[in-house]
Amino acid sequence: MDEVTRRKWDRAAANFELMAGYGPEKRWEPYKRELFSNMGDGEILFLALGTGLDLPVFPEGKSITAIDISQKMIDEAAPRVDAYNGNIRTQQADVHEMPFEDNQFDQVFTSCTFCSVPNPVQGLEAIKRVLKPGGDLFMFEHTGSRFFPFRQMMNLMTVVTKRLGPDMNRTTVENVVAAGYDLKKVTHVYMDVVKTIHAIPV
Amino acid sequence: METRLYFVAGDIVNNAAVGALVGLLLSLLVGPGWPMIVAMIIGMVLGMIIALPFAFGLSALFGAMETMLPVMTTGMVAGMAVTMSASMNETSIAGGAEMGAISGLGVFAATYIFNAFVKPRAAKWTK
Repeated sequence: MDEVTRRKWDRAAANFELMAGYGPEKRWEPYKRELFSNMGDGEILFLALGTGLDLPVFPEGKSITAIDISQKMIDEAAPRVDAYNGNIRTQQADVHEMPFEDNQFDQVFTSCTFCSVPNPVQGLEAIKRVLKPGGDLFMFEHTGSRFFPFRQMMNLMTVVTKRLGPDMNRTTVENVVAAGYDLKKVTHVYMDVVKTIHAIPV
Repeated sequence: METRLYFVAGDIVNNAAVGALVGLLLSLLVGPGWPMIVAMIIGMVLGMIIALPFAFGLSALFGAMETMLPVMTTGMVAGMAVTMSASMNETSIAGGAEMGAISGLGVFAATYIFNAFVKPRAAKWTK
């Protein structure tokens, strides 16, 4: 397990919702609700659980394995996990070395995850391993921008934010392709910065 | 395009207020006699630095990227506009704040228009 990343998110857990709990969630709720409506009846892997902010917009009755690298995040998420009307199993795990069998999951969902995974292509390849052939990868992610001055600003902001939490300048769509997925659909939520991605393993 | 009143109003007020603050502070710093280009570059950089903590702080209430990017841009544009003006003519604190607020409102409008332009064109950049 990546101890540097684990400690960073352990430290962030107690105050995580001060920054992320209201504004971002309210703003993104309609788009997340639409993305998560794609959850099917098979086995679902969700990462990263965080404090469980996404759980209230999950459809009911699903069978979900939710992982996070931080046990403190998982502990913070416990009330929302308990409140979910379905089956959620939580587990501390690093996306780079997930303790799951090959082809175990029908679908994988991520939510603001690959802004923080240290080796994103390697992480996406690890997801590919546990995803059944033809399975779906659905992502809600923020990335860098291709446009001036936003690209430069996000590079500047990342100097600050990566010490405390996420990077602001990731190239997640390109990383998905580099990890061996076929892009089915990319929908921009805000500029070219916040987006949903649907991909399947090639 | 965002149409919820809470967020639209928040975006307007945030950009106008941060622009006004940047304009106010930089009108205190820069005066006639400064080389205009130097003043503008310093204004852009300082404007962004002043805006940075507000960009992070306000995002907790009004959304992450949707707040940070316009507010940072407002800092840059307001800083540039006010220092350009102040390097050419005596600019009062109130005048600097007003010019900064107007810059913020301009950035608000520009980012909404830019967002409306960019969103439907996502597919061609990702295939």
